[in-house]
Amino acid sequence: MKTSIFETLARLATRRVAQLMALGMAAAVVATMGAIAPAEAHGEKSQQAFLRMRTLNWYDFKWSKTSINVNEEMVLEGKVHIFSAWPQAVANPRISFLNPGEPGPVLVRTAQYFGDQFAPRSVSLVPGKDYAFHINLKGRRAGRWHVHAQINVEGGGPIVGPGQWIEIKGDMADFKDPITLLDGTTVDLETYGIGRIYAWHMPWLIAGAAWILYWFFKKGIIASYLRVAEGREEQAVNDNDRRIGAIVLAVTILVTIVAYAMTNSAFPRTIPLQAGLLKPLTPIETEGTAGVGPKQVTVDLKGGVYKVPGRELTINVEVANKTDEPIRLGEYTAAGLRFLNPDVFTTKPDFPDYLLADRGVSVDPAPIAPGETKTIVVKIQDARWDIERLSDLAYDTDSQIGGLVFFFTPSGKRYAAEIGGPVIPKFVAGDMP
Amino acid sequence: MSQSKSGGAIGPFHSIAEAAGCVQVSDWLILTLVFLACLGGYHIHFMLTAGDWDFWVDWKDRRMWPTVVPILGVTFAAASQAFWWENFRLPFGATFVVLGLLIGEWINRYVNFWGWTYFPINEVFPSALIVPALWLDIVLLLSGSYMITAIVGSLGWGLLFYPNNWPVIAAFHQATDQNGQLMTLADLIGFHFVRTSMPEYIRIVERGTLRTFGKDVVPVAAFFSGFVSMLVYFLWWFMGKWYSTTKIIAKV
Ligand SMILES: [Cu+2]
Repeated sequence: MKTSIFETLARLATRRVAQLMALGMAAAVVATMGAIAPAEAHGEKSQQAFLRMRTLNWYDFKWSKTSINVNEEMVLEGKVHIFSAWPQAVANPRISFLNPGEPGPVLVRTAQYFGDQFAPRSVSLVPGKDYAFHINLKGRRAGRWHVHAQINVEGGGPIVGPGQWIEIKGDMADFKDPITLLDGTTVDLETYGIGRIYAWHMPWLIAGAAWILYWFFKKGIIASYLRVAEGREEQAVNDNDRRIGAIVLAVTILVTIVAYAMTNSAFPRTIPLQAGLLKPLTPIETEGTAGVGPKQVTVDLKGGVYKVPGRELTINVEVANKTDEPIRLGEYTAAGLRFLNPDVFTTKPDFPDYLLADRGVSVDPAPIAPGETKTIVVKIQDARWDIERLSDLAYDTDSQIGGLVFFFTPSGKRYAAEIGGPVIPKFVAGDMP
Repeated sequence: MSQSKSGGAIGPFHSIAEAAGCVQVSDWLILTLVFLACLGGYHIHFMLTAGDWDFWVDWKDRRMWPTVVPILGVTFAAASQAFWWENFRLPFGATFVVLGLLIGEWINRYVNFWGWTYFPINEVFPSALIVPALWLDIVLLLSGSYMITAIVGSLGWGLLFYPNNWPVIAAFHQATDQNGQLMTLADLIGFHFVRTSMPEYIRIVERGTLRTFGKDVVPVAAFFSGFVSMLVYFLWWFMGKWYSTTKIIAKV
């Protein structure tokens, strides 16, 4: 076999190009998937950092189970502090709705409460207040799903809380959702009325098709066109056609009336859809909640610097301890992320890892005495600032942080305080001023 | 076609049978293609306009749903009637597009809403529309006048919508006591089968009114819907008349 050197070279070159192209294509696919995957899991990351920190401050989140069977119930509970200095960019949360964030109805929501008030509709949230909520969920579709709590604000949008992976085992075919009606009968919400829907809709679709086909076969399309084009009106529509039409119309109306009457006797008592704002909620009033009671801790942000390359926020905080115990700062939380002071949290709490910076806070270990007012320097540093894109604060239209800080006493009490205010970004590496 | 019954060659065809066969095949092609085009166009129009009212059981209320859906639905029905009546005197224009819409919707609801996302059919079934469509077609057939169809037909189109849907909707308007809160089954289905991107307040449904006739919601909504449908009918009849073409059929 005689192959010239050029041919060999050409073949090699072609293979090279093909390989490169395949590689490029694979890279493009991976890049696209990479872009999709995290967005699917946590869309909240693409929302502006200052709005996530300065609207809803989520805390005390608990998922009662992370692995359930189909039909098994679990509870997602948490608390939310409504930020006092609610941003101008988001409508006030006067009309808000709590929702589980999940990919379709993989878990069914059987109930949800603010405090002890059942809240299946929209509620008013008051800035400055804290609310406890819980959502009762029931496994429906097998799989592993990321489940959040979120609150939508009318005129604003969704504000997403922390998410947790929930594993559901079993078969959706076994799912049951029994509901008791006012008259005492029990129905399965998953399947209720579906037979009735098909029984009513499908015959009408067939009747519609029959009506079309009747005229199609009787008159034809091209033949009809010619009749009209040649002005043969009498052949186009004759008395017999009209008679057929009148009969079909009479039957249609008759069936509608009879079905209407039968429906009314089958369901003598119906009510309109229920809508409208629910009654005002009761906020949390227990000691330790931000801004509640005579014994509380107040904080005032006295400026801060955010070092962009180091993912490090250093803030000066004036703390007034109005409790009767010495306190230490143990946690800063914003946008669902938790930054813990390892001196206070000696064991790692149970919380989704992507949001938990268990060594994220460092602060002077000396406690603040009862009655004392003191300015402390708090350093908050963790890669999660970047990963959860709070670092984008430096590029937001309002460079203000927000969130809650938690102080702890030797007897184990916890006092929360709202914190917020402007910080200055520092775009180059180096020592903080 | 009538001049050679014995089967001699007519025009380009060898026999009447062949000519008739060709006409029949063309008829089927036209019917199918126009049907698919209407299905696509009407369905997109409907999803973008009537959208959520038609998607979700807890949007199918007494006030907004029977107002909005007929008004937005009469559009293509009128245009299709203009096309099929003006050019062919075939009395199935409204039923034709409505059937297309419903078939498109049912495929969408079954394959996408149930098959992919697992929303139960009792949350996502479409509105029934065949009865109002038959009414519109038969009024046109009997009167032969687009003017009468626009007035009497459109009014009936609006008025028949709710009765045509009631046999299904009534079941979902039964009451249930949920932890001290009164809810319809429709509300409860929407609450149980979570739509993460749809907060409750976003529903544009009846929320009550201080107006004097606030209690007779359905008849008021249906009449209003019928009246607006008349105007929309006129507009879309002429859209159908001016912007549809039979050039292809003329060539055949
Ligand atoms: Cu997620």
